[in-house]
Amino acid sequence: MSQNKNINLGYINLFNTHIIPVKFNYHAPQTLEEALNLLNKLKDKARVIAGGTDLIVDMKLRRKEPEHVVSLNKIRELDYITVDSLGVKIGAIVKLRKIEKEKIIRERFPALYEALKSMASIQVRNMGTMVGNICNASPAADTAPPLLIYNATLTAKSLNNERKIPIEEFFKAPGKTALKEDELVTEIFIPYPPQDSHSTFLKITRVGMDLSKVSIAVLTKFNGSIIEDIRIALGAVAPTPLRIRRAEEFLKNKPLTEENLKIVQEIVAKEIKPITDVRSTEWYRREVAKVLVKDALMKCLEEEGGR
Amino acid sequence: MSSITYLESQKDEYRILDQWLKAREYVYVGKDVKRIDALDKVTGRARYVEDFLVEGLTYARIVKSDIPHGVIEWIRPGRAVEHPDFIALVTCEDIPGLNQVGYYIPDQPALAEKKVRFHGEPVALIVSSKPDSLEELRNLVEVEIKPLKAVYDPLEALKDKVLVHEEHGSNIVLRTKVKKGDVSKALENTDYVVENVYKTGYQEHAYLEPEGALAIPMDGGMTIILPAQYPHLAQSIIARVLGYPQSKIRIIQPVIGGGFGGKDDMGPIIGAQAAIAAYKVRRPVLLVYTREDSFTSHCKRDPAYIRYKSGANRDGKLTFVDVEIIFDAGAYANRGPFTLWRATAHATGPYEVPNVDVRGILVYTNKVYQGSFRGFGNPQVQFAAERQMDELADKIGIDPLEFRLKNILRIGSRISTDQVLEDSVGVGEALVRVAEKCGWFEKRKKYGKIVDGKARGIGLACAWHGISTSRGVPDWCNAYINVSKDGSVSIYTGIVEIGQGTHTGLIQIAAEALGIPVEKINLIGGTTDAPDTGATHGSRGLSFGGVAILLAASKIREKVQKVASRIFECKPEDVEIRDGWVFEKIKPEKRISWEEAVKRCYAEGEELSATGYFFMPKGKFDEEKGQGFAYIVFSYMVSAVEVEVDLETGLTRILKVWPAICAGKIVNPKLAVTQIHGATVQGIGYTLMEEVVIEDGKIVNTNYTDYLIPTISDIPEIDEPIFVEDYFKFGPMGAKGLAEMALIPIPAAITNAIKHAVGVKPSEIPYTPEKLYRDLLRRMRE
Amino acid sequence: MEKKKIIFKINGVEKTVEVEPNKTLLWLIREVLKLKGTKKACERGDCGLCTVLLNGEPVKSCLVLAVEVDGSEIVTVEGLSRDGELTPIQKAFIEHGALQCGFCTPAFVIVGHWLLNRNPNPSREEVVEALNGVLCRCTGYRPIIEAILDVAKKRK
Repeated sequence: MSQNKNINLGYINLFNTHIIPVKFNYHAPQTLEEALNLLNKLKDKARVIAGGTDLIVDMKLRRKEPEHVVSLNKIRELDYITVDSLGVKIGAIVKLRKIEKEKIIRERFPALYEALKSMASIQVRNMGTMVGNICNASPAADTAPPLLIYNATLTAKSLNNERKIPIEEFFKAPGKTALKEDELVTEIFIPYPPQDSHSTFLKITRVGMDLSKVSIAVLTKFNGSIIEDIRIALGAVAPTPLRIRRAEEFLKNKPLTEENLKIVQEIVAKEIKPITDVRSTEWYRREVAKVLVKDALMKCLEEEGGR
Repeated sequence: MSSITYLESQKDEYRILDQWLKAREYVYVGKDVKRIDALDKVTGRARYVEDFLVEGLTYARIVKSDIPHGVIEWIRPGRAVEHPDFIALVTCEDIPGLNQVGYYIPDQPALAEKKVRFHGEPVALIVSSKPDSLEELRNLVEVEIKPLKAVYDPLEALKDKVLVHEEHGSNIVLRTKVKKGDVSKALENTDYVVENVYKTGYQEHAYLEPEGALAIPMDGGMTIILPAQYPHLAQSIIARVLGYPQSKIRIIQPVIGGGFGGKDDMGPIIGAQAAIAAYKVRRPVLLVYTREDSFTSHCKRDPAYIRYKSGANRDGKLTFVDVEIIFDAGAYANRGPFTLWRATAHATGPYEVPNVDVRGILVYTNKVYQGSFRGFGNPQVQFAAERQMDELADKIGIDPLEFRLKNILRIGSRISTDQVLEDSVGVGEALVRVAEKCGWFEKRKKYGKIVDGKARGIGLACAWHGISTSRGVPDWCNAYINVSKDGSVSIYTGIVEIGQGTHTGLIQIAAEALGIPVEKINLIGGTTDAPDTGATHGSRGLSFGGVAILLAASKIREKVQKVASRIFECKPEDVEIRDGWVFEKIKPEKRISWEEAVKRCYAEGEELSATGYFFMPKGKFDEEKGQGFAYIVFSYMVSAVEVEVDLETGLTRILKVWPAICAGKIVNPKLAVTQIHGATVQGIGYTLMEEVVIEDGKIVNTNYTDYLIPTISDIPEIDEPIFVEDYFKFGPMGAKGLAEMALIPIPAAITNAIKHAVGVKPSEIPYTPEKLYRDLLRRMRE
Repeated sequence: MEKKKIIFKINGVEKTVEVEPNKTLLWLIREVLKLKGTKKACERGDCGLCTVLLNGEPVKSCLVLAVEVDGSEIVTVEGLSRDGELTPIQKAFIEHGALQCGFCTPAFVIVGHWLLNRNPNPSREEVVEALNGVLCRCTGYRPIIEAILDVAKKRK
């Protein structure tokens, strides 16, 4: 779409959410194969839509101007949640609200459950998908930190190829992922967390319904007072959601003492790269990230104690 | 003290008001009558300005300046003319009358002419045959603006290095002054003095329905369906812009999706813009501001910079108040002269202070212009005054409630302008009752301690708010009532329903005066078809609009009484009308129906229509001396707030609010409670979260994603409000204004509670978690 | 940009419409079908005023492409009351005065209606969670919560 490159009045007059100024062709393939064929043909001219909650706003604001929009919503084969002995598999067009309502998610993946519950509004959760939340690659995507600590794997398919991408390798930059232009994420696989581990999700927002200023997911497994397994992931504090490996390495095989907690907080503060934007400031995000690390770890410790 | 002038010609009106005031027992007034507009609103049938289906409608958008200060070289449609939907580009050159929509100072064009003065200023209108091509079309318009140096900081603007309006010669729009006693002498003899600077930010109305106007050229004039708050003001401004006589402009209010003052200012402006476009294209034009247009280009609550110095003696008596108030008008003066005057007059808070020196400065900057917003200049200054009271109390070592009670205004008190308060001052009682209900003394002792990284606090603040126009500025109201042959009643009032429920309250007053059920009454409001009733602002809609209706209805009542007295063979004053029945007081069993009585009136030549004109008695204010009459009466508010502060994150949770209001007779308690809730929550947003972020003159957050208003998860518990019914002699049944009140004390009440909880001294709102956290760190370092 | 033919049911009535792919469901409802009860205030998913029921679930119609509702069933505020009989939620909103300017009311009514169909006896927290996606600038929300809880209580 290029008819509006003649910008005389600057962005102020472009900025609109009333209509979608982008003109595109709409495709609603019935099968995955059809969809992959389309992507293979259209490549970067196409954008994929499932929930639409991100793409439609992006198109209204001309942040994305695709010539083609490929909808996945008619592809029934992508609408599934399956549970097996290894974990849970979630298809690309499963709505966030359906995942949140799944018993196994609440029972075995509490951090993901809490993240889903905290997201936007019921309306948006009825519309949006988890694959969409991930593929949009917002640094503040709420499902990202939980998926990071659960070591989720994405299945990416193109017409001639299929590959598994560990979630940690998926995010590249704000809005940028490891996905190639003809690829589609068809599934998220979340393996069960270790037996007797605890996990939790926390976030700080400005008002009740809001994008996160800072979010965190933590998983711990204690052996007595010693931390045997630890995973820490944060959102909205760097260009991508991220695991804080250095903090994890430090805590591994140590008890969660007040002193260790302080060191971990400092490591986290050093590892993250928050920015100042209209939602918050860099230094405040750093301070609050430290608090969230502590709160999340303490919550896991409490659960361990109450077990 | 200047005395109030009463008009001989209004003696009858004074008598009628006095009669109703003294009645004290009412059938409809004071009851929870259900809103008359509720059914349409819950079914989706209510029609807002964008919901009308009009044959041949065209659609318009504003084209905005991307430059905060500059000279317009040219504006042309460019490639827009090639677009099949293009109808017209409208610029200031298309204006048949005067390109002037300024309110008090003629400084503001309907569409920019020669210069632009803020980022987002409308420079043109694009008109399209289809609503979905507007965004594309306005982007094709070519505008060349040569940038000038701009000034954004009001303190910087005071230096006049960059002039926003060259012809004015200075960025200072005007100065205000209130002066009493001798502050410098008082300072020498004062035991305790506190001095602070307080800052408040813009507040965006964020009404869910943005601005809109539907202009229809018809009957040789222009009819405008317009969400405005003063139809007759819109009429006069639009007439000026079109060069029409006012009588050719007809304003009709649609259902309005929130106003809060913003649509008082914006109604005439967007109405004029739509009318100019409709004049040019000779077809109906619907002009709507998108949400982004509303954020960038509509007026907002004025940011303030307040230097506040005050003192008290060991006995807890205030000795002086010395205040400098700088209001940032933005690019146009708009209502600034009046918000600033209001702030100046209210700067002491509702206290008796012997020595007062308040100086106000209104200053232009190259930013979006200031506007009316619930509280109208007063929330800013009450924040300063009431924070200051807590700081002073602290310094003296006295409880802030006791300190307030020692100085609170009572009947007979002299306010800062030296006006004596003759009646209706319930604030002292409100203070005592709020304190009792919220467990003040116990919680002041118990709270303020850190438990698990959190601390609770309780704080309170008072507010006062002058009703009607200030000083000697004339204020009047009117209404027209007509009784049809079948006995049903039509009321015409210029008072606008913006959601506050006033139309329901007005019908209650009419029902009371006529003695008939509310169902028999239809109200046609917010239109120039009614007599000029003044604006729906200044908390005057129900109180003042109600006076007019009470007077008109009472005149009709007297006519019916007269005719009925001939039937019952008694004196007219012995005829009672109640619940739709007309009877002699001592023989209620011998009665006729209201309809029957109306028939008799028609048959016997008694005309059943009336107007209810009332001219508010006023005194004079001496601008030179800064002394004299300020307002005919004040409403008062006290709110106590309990908070919990998370010391690790700076997050404040508001646990509970205890409101008390002194607004005279409460006409409809349920509606009043909803107003108090709504205003309180809006105040919470103003205090803790709502921040218009401006970078280089550009508003960065032009949507609800980034400009935050309270959501359903952010609201506290609000205690059943205390109504102190301090009757006002010129209100309908003693009612005063209410809708603005509950917002005004909230900023100070919350921040005083935060101070009690964790010891910081908030001096700036919005007091975001970042700021609170920063202050906590500072305090720990000290 | 080719127009697409879509067939759907709205408030119980089947419709066939040709619509451009870049139009939203909100546009379809307000501008094509001229059902003006559904409001718009931000059109980017923040305010929730455009909420309608899509296949029985509340969605924000400003974030749904119209072409995507092919084969679906939509309910707007106009479709709630049948034969002039108000729903219990609508009655409660009138009773409690749970509205002021009324601009957000259709959305709250829709979500409240959906919630009580799903969960006849919600807790206060559940009501708040359900309504969290709709903004109101006038009421301070409390009367809205009370109205919905009251319907549930009266049903018991």
